[in-house]
Amino acid sequence: MGVGTILQIDIVGWLSGLPSWIYLVISGLFSLVWAFFNWIWSIVVWFWALAISQIWWLFKAIVFPGLVFILFSIIFSVWFTRKVWGRVQARRGPFHLGKYGGLQVFADAIKLIGKEIVIPDKAKRWMYRILPSLLLIAVLVPFAFIPWSNEWYIADLSVSLIVTFAFLTVVPVVSLLSGWISGSKYTLIGGFRAANNQFAAEIPLIISSVGPAMLAGSLSIMGISQAQSSLWYFLLLPVNCVTFMVSATVITALVPFDAPVADSEILFGWRTEFSGIYFTMTYFAEFAKQLLFSGLIVALFFGGSYGFAFMPPVLNFIFKFLIVLFFMILVTSSFYRMRQDQVTHFCWKYLLPLSLLNVVIAMFAIVYVPGLAQLLGIGG
Amino acid sequence: MCPEIVDEAAQVWFGPQHVSAHGWATKLTIVGDYIVECDPNAGYFHRSAEKCLEFRNFQQGALIMERLCMLEAFLAEYPYVKAVEQIAQLDVPERARVMRTIMMEASRIHSLQFWWGQFGAELGLFAMTLWPWVDREYFLDAFEELTGSRHAVSYSAPGGVKYDFNEKSIKMLERALDRLEDRLPKFRDMILRSPTFKLRTKKIGLFDAAQGLKWGLSGPNIKACGIPMDLRKDDPDPNLAYEMCDWEVPVTTNEDHPGQCDAYDRMSQRFKEIETSASIIRQLLPQVPEGPIIDPKARAKANRLPEGEAYGRVEGTRGVTTLFLKTADKAQTPYRAKIRGPCFASYYSLKHLVPGSTFADFVVIFGSLDPYPGWWDR
Amino acid sequence: MSRDWHSCWESEVDERMGFFSTLGDIFRVLRHTFRQTMTRPFTYFYPFEDRYYPDTTRGRHIHIRKNCTACAQCVKACPTIAIRIDKQDRMYEKDAALHFDYTRCIFCGLCVQACKFNALFHTKIVDLSEETREDLQYGPDRMGTLERKPLKWRGRTFR
Repeated sequence: MGVGTILQIDIVGWLSGLPSWIYLVISGLFSLVWAFFNWIWSIVVWFWALAISQIWWLFKAIVFPGLVFILFSIIFSVWFTRKVWGRVQARRGPFHLGKYGGLQVFADAIKLIGKEIVIPDKAKRWMYRILPSLLLIAVLVPFAFIPWSNEWYIADLSVSLIVTFAFLTVVPVVSLLSGWISGSKYTLIGGFRAANNQFAAEIPLIISSVGPAMLAGSLSIMGISQAQSSLWYFLLLPVNCVTFMVSATVITALVPFDAPVADSEILFGWRTEFSGIYFTMTYFAEFAKQLLFSGLIVALFFGGSYGFAFMPPVLNFIFKFLIVLFFMILVTSSFYRMRQDQVTHFCWKYLLPLSLLNVVIAMFAIVYVPGLAQLLGIGG
Repeated sequence: MCPEIVDEAAQVWFGPQHVSAHGWATKLTIVGDYIVECDPNAGYFHRSAEKCLEFRNFQQGALIMERLCMLEAFLAEYPYVKAVEQIAQLDVPERARVMRTIMMEASRIHSLQFWWGQFGAELGLFAMTLWPWVDREYFLDAFEELTGSRHAVSYSAPGGVKYDFNEKSIKMLERALDRLEDRLPKFRDMILRSPTFKLRTKKIGLFDAAQGLKWGLSGPNIKACGIPMDLRKDDPDPNLAYEMCDWEVPVTTNEDHPGQCDAYDRMSQRFKEIETSASIIRQLLPQVPEGPIIDPKARAKANRLPEGEAYGRVEGTRGVTTLFLKTADKAQTPYRAKIRGPCFASYYSLKHLVPGSTFADFVVIFGSLDPYPGWWDR
Repeated sequence: MSRDWHSCWESEVDERMGFFSTLGDIFRVLRHTFRQTMTRPFTYFYPFEDRYYPDTTRGRHIHIRKNCTACAQCVKACPTIAIRIDKQDRMYEKDAALHFDYTRCIFCGLCVQACKFNALFHTKIVDLSEETREDLQYGPDRMGTLERKPLKWRGRTFR
């Protein structure tokens, strides 16, 4: 006893200091939260300022030629395709929900979204989840470059034609991957067939689009469509228009060339194992691709927004767009499916020389037919 | 098959849930895009029809036969009726003979129209599925007007037929034929002259007549090789009326590969079958004689049959359809009934036909043989 | 393996398909499809309009008990044991109650042909769907009449 000092804690003194402690902690936390809110608010203020300055652009990107419009036009095109297919097959399309079955697609979409998602055991789960959305994004982004009229467009790059093709090249890669990771032999075969389709039709597609680009002297879709104010390139490059349309059909995997999703051979191709919302995304991506190509055909060959003077330019574009879409659906329901080696054979043996031939002929026509270059607005 | 190929080979089960597997599972060994081995597996539709026949009396047996193949119901129920008539030695009235023949040919047309549509869907054109099926509706309406049922007609009975022609049913049959003949040029454009159809079917599933006969094929699949092998001519049935009209056995010969047939030839052969059947009906319709449609004592006679065996056969849509019937003395039910359907042979011929073709062509070969599940598994 | 599987490369395109004749065939096919879009559809608006049924239609049966003699020929003729007869349940002098099991009936028409006394007939009613299996087993009260519960669907009444 008495050895050493007793380390006595002054508990009362410590307790008396506690309120200031608590105050310090609370005020520290509060200042953290306050700073966080300030930070968020500053972002909101900045964004709002940006939005106010860019409101017109935002409206275009989100509402009219942008996301909402594209989404509704995809839904419309699904309905339209089903109706036309129904007519061709001597039956009515959807007719129960809404006027002329107009709400049927919404009902289908809601049903598909509400469905259970079944992921196969052998599938790579995270890729299975991410690939369909990637596909939809890759297909939706090029819609920014579609010139609905001289005012109504979202973006106009000087190389937008190239960028569009670059984005579309992503699609078969995604198809191949999703066929591969789904863990089924049928999807794998479908994925390789999708890659084969792209392999076959990409060169004729790009060479067919060289013709209008060369005539307009521009690689921007906007520039090409504006250059057709006096003469549609369809009249000058009819074969190119046809080859573009056919190779677009090949890339979109519509019926004569739908080996990637051949339902009687390999069930649903690379989409076989997708279910629920993932299936909806791939399904919509296909229709979005179809719409995108219809838009490109109108912009490159059918004079974009130029046409009937009594209609506003946007309506002109949409009118021609619908006609092209109808024609694509008609082709879809007229021919038997070709085998994948026949697709490649067809594209390389017929489409490629034809598309080249028309470009060459057009060049000669510009050089040797007087007045044509004047009409097209090409100096020389 | 060299060992390197076997290492790369993958096995794919085509069916039984696959949309164009017709209800059977075919095991395919594929290397790359080529099929190197095909292993057909029948048995997924087995409902022991032969055993069922042993528990039904001679009025009811035809019902089971027609349910084996609903598409050619008039043709499918005939071998049973024929066998019963042979054992009981029943006389069929003249009118019933002609009416049976007419309805059997109509049934053949309707079955082939169904096959067009099915083949069109397998080749990827869904519009081609529904266009022949619309025309087929007219035949179904005619069947309904005559018998009261669209598919399960139960028309023939031992000793005659059950339902008599009336004015309206003849008119509807003629309307169906008119519609068919109107639309045949259109189908010729859409099928035989369609470039994509030629691409898919020419030189696909090629076999020659000797092979086909060895595999046991019959009907349009053999006639497409150029051999006029047809039971309607070769074995004139006294209970049918094919001798009353003037017709030739349709055959297809292709100068590119004489004595052989590919999927395209099988399709054009079936076109000719339809035309022949239509002309037979056109010739027989005005010749329908007056008289009873059924022997009044037939029902009592077919109640209990004497001991005997009989072999009823008919040239069906897909080939020779036969039924062997053996009865004990004073039996109300058969002692044994053995059905031989045409499609079992055509399904197992895939084993020799398919190896070497691509995976996409398997569907074409399979569909071009006109398979129907009911005839494979009894 | 019976054939050389490399031979398939030769079978790609038929040599006789000329370029312009193929183009003509393509346009002919497109013309047929385009004409088809202008025609009326063949199908019915099913629940709202029904098709024509001929008098011979083999639909559900009706039992006329006044004519019935309880001979049970229909029971003997039935291939699927769908008919059961109850001779105790009498309404007239020598008739019998008929119990029909429409889960078993195949509408072959043998019972109607077997009836010599005009007591059993087919009717034109073919839409027999019910909510439960028990509802498809028709007792003598339902066999004698054509009246049935009306079907209400989306605010409209059918049947």
